[in-house]
Amino acid sequence: MKKIQSRFGEIEYDPSNLLLFPEGLIGFEDLRDFIVMPNEKAGPLFWIQSVDDPQIAFILTDPTDFYFDYKVVPDGREQQKLGIDKDDECLVVSVMTVPPSRKITINLAAPIFFAPKTNRALQVILEGTQFSPQTPLPTVEEKPSEE
Amino acid sequence: MLVLTRKAGEGIIIGDDIKITVIELKGGGVRIGIDAPREMKVHRQEVFDKIKRENKEATQWDIADLNELGMILKSGRDKK
Repeated sequence: MKKIQSRFGEIEYDPSNLLLFPEGLIGFEDLRDFIVMPNEKAGPLFWIQSVDDPQIAFILTDPTDFYFDYKVVPDGREQQKLGIDKDDECLVVSVMTVPPSRKITINLAAPIFFAPKTNRALQVILEGTQFSPQTPLPTVEEKPSEE
Repeated sequence: MLVLTRKAGEGIIIGDDIKITVIELKGGGVRIGIDAPREMKVHRQEVFDKIKRENKEATQWDIADLNELGMILKSGRDKK
């Protein structure tokens, strides 16, 4: 086991079980290795911490939990980068943002493909999509009337 | 920056395998055709920049947000 100091404190991890982004994430192309951190509370959330930059961590979730019609699949070139064949399992996760306004959004325009078989992940930009990088979470509670 | 003047139908070759062609000029816009290897990523600048900004913004959270988010998502799921 190895240890790093993240901005959340010390994190212990198994170097043989890292998530590899062969191309980094968009804007963070140099950060390849991430530790996958399960959320301590039950729920469909988890987060990833960069091994190389203690400041960089992302909250991820499965977007199909609340956007049922959201379906993206890697093309041949992307499968190659993930090191998988077309029949291998490939999951889709999305990056969540908690802005200062606290209006939480989910980035559906640049999903992350995750291949469990190779422990590799790839963030892709969907071209010509109607999905926004700042898709608000669907409202689940009745809003109080504003009249 | 290298600046070249091209007319519709003319092109530019970059390296061994990238070819950019000016297709037409119309209504203040330029239609551009790009031939590049499949593994080469091609994106509109503003789309790419937006994703980059969003990723950067997404790194600004703290552990308390995780719990709050978890609750929100869970309540959404339970209601279904």
